[in-house]
Amino acid sequence: MSDLLKSLQEAILTIDEETALKVTQELLDSGMEPEEILESGMTEALLELGRRWNCGEAFLPEVVAAAGIFERCSAIVEPALMAKADRKVSDKAIIATVKGDLHDLGKNIVGAMMKTVGLEVHDLGKNVPTEKIIEAVKELQPKLIGLSALLTTTMPEQENVIKALEEAGLRSAVKVMVGGAPVTQEWADRIGADGYAPNAPEAVRVALELTQVAA
Amino acid sequence: MTPEAPSIRSLPRTLQADALTPAALEAVHAQTLTVLEEVGVGVGGEAMCRALADAGAEVDLSTKRVRFPAGMIEKALERSPRTYVLAARVPEFDLAIDGQHSYLAVDGCAAEILDHETGERRPSTKQDLAMAMRLADALPEIGILWQPMSARDMPRKSQSLHELHAQFANSGKHIQMMTAVTPEVARGVVEIARVVAGGSEALRRRPIISAFECSLSPLMYEDGALEAAQVYAEAGVPCGFVVMPISCATGPATAAGTLVQSNAEILAGITALQVLVPGAATFYGCCATVMDLRSGAAACGGPEDLYLQMAAAQLARNYGVPSSIGTFATGSKIPDWQAGVENGLSGFASVLAGADLMCGAGLLFGARVYSLAEMVLDAEIFNLLHYLTDKSAMSLSDSIAQVIESVGPGGHYLSDKHTLQNMRQQWMPKLFDRLSWEDWESAGQPGPQELANERVRSLLSTHEPPPLDDGVEDEILRIIDAFERGDGGNEDE
Ligand code: B1M
Repeated sequence: MSDLLKSLQEAILTIDEETALKVTQELLDSGMEPEEILESGMTEALLELGRRWNCGEAFLPEVVAAAGIFERCSAIVEPALMAKADRKVSDKAIIATVKGDLHDLGKNIVGAMMKTVGLEVHDLGKNVPTEKIIEAVKELQPKLIGLSALLTTTMPEQENVIKALEEAGLRSAVKVMVGGAPVTQEWADRIGADGYAPNAPEAVRVALELTQVAA
Repeated sequence: MTPEAPSIRSLPRTLQADALTPAALEAVHAQTLTVLEEVGVGVGGEAMCRALADAGAEVDLSTKRVRFPAGMIEKALERSPRTYVLAARVPEFDLAIDGQHSYLAVDGCAAEILDHETGERRPSTKQDLAMAMRLADALPEIGILWQPMSARDMPRKSQSLHELHAQFANSGKHIQMMTAVTPEVARGVVEIARVVAGGSEALRRRPIISAFECSLSPLMYEDGALEAAQVYAEAGVPCGFVVMPISCATGPATAAGTLVQSNAEILAGITALQVLVPGAATFYGCCATVMDLRSGAAACGGPEDLYLQMAAAQLARNYGVPSSIGTFATGSKIPDWQAGVENGLSGFASVLAGADLMCGAGLLFGARVYSLAEMVLDAEIFNLLHYLTDKSAMSLSDSIAQVIESVGPGGHYLSDKHTLQNMRQQWMPKLFDRLSWEDWESAGQPGPQELANERVRSLLSTHEPPPLDDGVEDEILRIIDAFERGDGGNEDE
């Protein structure tokens, strides 16, 4: 691996945004393929951070910060990537905290962790109306929708989203995963969700499983 | 109104410790004013923004950002009453919020219950909530009722009203609403409380309920929270502001940093309320904790929490506003060693800090699971602290040298007259194990949870809560029914 690629990884792992952005640009200028920068540099670093987090060496704020740097580095390589016809596209996922619910911490963490395994995550935010989710599905055509609900009174919104997907004829095109403190596997089964996860690492595992099935 | 209602145990304010030095307190206050003046607070409603602008706040309507000048905050604090009464349906349960007593609330609002009969963790129901209220009614340590868990089997729209119904029907104590956080539901709550209190004026004179609103940390009041506070205050119902920031996630990484942000959010809420309803009874609430760095969960129970409890209560004392301080919120999953340590220290911290309200008893797993066993165990901790703060039990009688002399070196106090006269002053635990090893073995080696479950069963088998007046329950159900059909919760009913 080139030294520059290594220092890109190092910069992401140490949350040094300035260096990460600079090196990404240098790599691109040096003529390296954008896919290689993305995969061997940026994604590799996030995967490593995910591994470190799993064994307790890295903490969540580092993962979330690195995921942010990843996104801003992506913006640098993206134009070059889009210019290529044969680009490999990563799987898209939409995540949101459902309507009426302002708890977004869990959703943010799950979103950041999903990025560490190479998913292209679109975060619609909190208190997101069902219609907005349906619109985003139409526009982005994701493989996965992740819905977070922290209140017993907003859990039914997860079911409403699934119903709305059915009504819009989109249900078979996308997998739905649900989570949040009061949500259980039983609830997920009852409302016809495809997956459930009690925490972020499990959410990542389930997301990968679901996007691969959908592939 | 008696200053200390006989049937509710309160902690007299006889011990006090300050977490912040005078200089630190001043620094926290100064930085808070800087945050309020320069950063400001996000306020959802446009009408609310305009009202605050009229009162002197600098408001950017395009971003809904409200910046508060220091003078506005000071004026609001002056307007906030230092003392008031949280009345109860049964007048003997009235609570004097007078800066001299601490009261314990039932905590809220879990989504699940740890069933004391089956040991199973399952979604909570209105029936569970009713049972918890009957238990709380029986415990003299409990002064205030939050909604300990959600009535998940009730319609979503009217869930809070069903919870209030179960509370009024099963206890005569003061109720504090934590889930009725939109103006519509707040109006439904007020309507029910008026029926129970005997009319609007009666409720205003004797507020048998109170409420609080939460900020959305960092620095936001969204989705009708301030509007709901206004509904309560206009009806004469005290309404506080309780913040729940999590250090490293929704609050700065340092405990002191989270304190400044919390202070800013609470003062912003109180200031908005005093603009809308000058002189409204309010309180200063803080349930701050840290994020567990591995899982991201709210940790609940560590040393940072203790510091934040003490410092927040000290700030409230300093501002002259009653405080409601997050207490007893163990992160543990069962009533075990961790729960005992965390809640024991947490209770002590709130007592030392001079919290007016301590919220509260019975939650496990970082506020997600309710346990009746944990409620009686927390009440036992409170009881222990009651003993410690009750100076009469610890005071020295002048004649003790004579008593010691009469026994003399090498004697014993076992059957001494002084012992026989005074021994009943000793604290008698209900749930601490002091059995002999043999007795403990033959009792099946009960742990705290088993002992507590036993007490829960025994209290529930005997306690009858004071009934509601004739016709009141029907009227409550009628209001809920109208609310469900969509014609309740309207203005000026
Ligand atoms: C898509 O796939 C997936 C897969 C996995 C997924 C997933 C999606 N989403 C989450 N996961 C999973 O992975 C994550 C990482 O491990 C986990 O996410 P979590 O979100 O569970 O965990 C987070 C990383 C950390 N946890 C949290 O962030 C939540 C912590 C607690 C204490 C909590 C907080 C912090 C807040 N709250 Co609120 N709050 C509570 C919470 C009690 C608790 N301990 O859970 C809870 C959820 N709140 C509650 C309540 C009542 C309320 N809250 C409210 C407000 C707030 C704050 C704004 C103050 C704040 C949220 C700040 C924010 N930006 O998110 C109000 C409602 C506002 C609204 N409309 O949403 C209000 C009504 C309080 C009020 N009086 O205003 C209770 C719910 C009761 C119920 N029966 O539903 C509650 C259990 C606390 C309590 N006991 O009162 C997993 O669940």
